[in-house]
Amino acid sequence: MAGLGSTSRPAFHLPLGRAEYGETLELQRALHARRKTGAIPDTVITVEHDPVITFGRSSSREHLLVSSQELEREGVALFEVERGGDVTYHGPGQLVVYPIVDLREHGRDVKRFVGRLEDATIATLADLKIASGRRDGYPGVWVEHRKIASIGVYVRGWVSRHGLALNVAVNQAHFAMINPCGLSVQMVSACDLSDQPITIERVRAVFLDRMSEQFGWRLEEASLAEILGDEDE
Amino acid sequence: MNTNNGGTEIRLPDLGEIDEVRVVQWLKEVGATLAEDDDLLEVETEKTTFVVPAPIAGQLSEIVAAEGATVKRGGVLGRIGQHE
Repeated sequence: MAGLGSTSRPAFHLPLGRAEYGETLELQRALHARRKTGAIPDTVITVEHDPVITFGRSSSREHLLVSSQELEREGVALFEVERGGDVTYHGPGQLVVYPIVDLREHGRDVKRFVGRLEDATIATLADLKIASGRRDGYPGVWVEHRKIASIGVYVRGWVSRHGLALNVAVNQAHFAMINPCGLSVQMVSACDLSDQPITIERVRAVFLDRMSEQFGWRLEEASLAEILGDEDE
Repeated sequence: MNTNNGGTEIRLPDLGEIDEVRVVQWLKEVGATLAEDDDLLEVETEKTTFVVPAPIAGQLSEIVAAEGATVKRGGVLGRIGQHE
């Protein structure tokens, strides 16, 4: 396994805090283009979204369980996007991680890439004393029969975008608006599984450490201006 | 890559430890002129959409694996003919 030794590669972390889904999607696409040309190293966006429901490439509209009027009333936006997977909810209390990664530098292996995201999540939860695991054939991270993290990725030119959503303290009523991933599974948040208070900031910090181990990164926080690279730079 | 009268086979690229994928959608129609590396179709596996590029320039002469089809490792997705 790649460690934090001399072989680690520089990578960027771009913390967005709380951000709207649509603008983050545009940003991902811009960074994806820059990663493809090699203008930036592997870059991880972390974000907490305003409430939103997104449909991946394998989505069925039947998995949306509420009307558009109800969504409007709840202030939940709707997006159809290029990632794999079925319908997903994002909202406050959920750590969303978008790795803009060149898979050619990590073994050109889609399954291993997804596995690394899962392993980083499982290790993060273990740090919080929460036991979780994988389920064969059902990507994501599970606590027994309940899902705590969802995955949906897009890879073009061997560079990834979209990624993973880890439930830290999510409004459970919002999950009831969808049949998550079309599996009729129950979603669960980390805070419901722990006696200690768990903040999204702590989960993010641990997750970035575990992810750096998985990918062999030396992660450095970067500003949007640095990453988007002004022409005169 | 086999070449015959039907053109050059477009095979599923090696995606790592992946046994099969599902064809999500073709981004080009039969007859379309392709440059090498043009986005050709999307396949899905492990909750990941993977965009398969055109392996060579030419004309998309046949779609073998239609939308919704399951394709095994190294399987044929379609064929590309050369320009006349």
